[in-house]
Amino acid sequence: MTRPNIQFDDEVREMTEEEYAALLATGWTEEGTDDLAR
Amino acid sequence: MAIKTFTTGELLTASDTNTYLANSGLVYIKQQTIGSGVATAVVADAFSATYDNYKITIHGGVASTLTSLTFILTGSATQYYSALSYVAYGTTTPLAASDNNAASWQYAGYGTTNYLAATFDVLNPWNAKFTQFGPNNWPAQTVSGTSSGVHGVATSYTGFTIGTAAGTMTGGTITVYGYRKA
Repeated sequence: MTRPNIQFDDEVREMTEEEYAALLATGWTEEGTDDLAR
Repeated sequence: MAIKTFTTGELLTASDTNTYLANSGLVYIKQQTIGSGVATAVVADAFSATYDNYKITIHGGVASTLTSLTFILTGSATQYYSALSYVAYGTTTPLAASDNNAASWQYAGYGTTNYLAATFDVLNPWNAKFTQFGPNNWPAQTVSGTSSGVHGVATSYTGFTIGTAAGTMTGGTITVYGYRKA
């Protein structure tokens, strides 16, 4: 899949592989599963 | 002088006008428009010695899926402690969730395919003390609640990062205000 973007002030770019791995390590998922607290 | 009481017939000078119109309680610091397909938005140079306490709002825009919005002080991904109390619409049963030495404040706001929403205070982020955050709104699509907590690292921070627990954000505006000290 395409990696999500990351934004620094007004600059927006695609996440690097390292940034995306760090995001996934936080438990981030592409789709939300429900409306309740994680 | 922080405030001045004008009397009838008194001359309103340009100096007084400029001084006292600027002496509002909340002072605008900066605004950032969220780009397209963003999972993480870093807001730099938000905190400084000018203010001890801040208000952050997020409005407009959409999320790609239902998601809680997360908050960190940029540069620190540990020691976030928070508690969230919430209730499902149409019920009265109290529900709760919490962060215990988490990598972020996981309940800073909420995003749906219709909106992004958050408003909360941040106390002492620039001071080399623990930072407190909240209370906030956590307005989800089928539940709603409020959260607050503390970041247990006594370090000075100049910026923060808003993220999603799932999916991405597109559009919307992050605004930062400072509470004027004097």
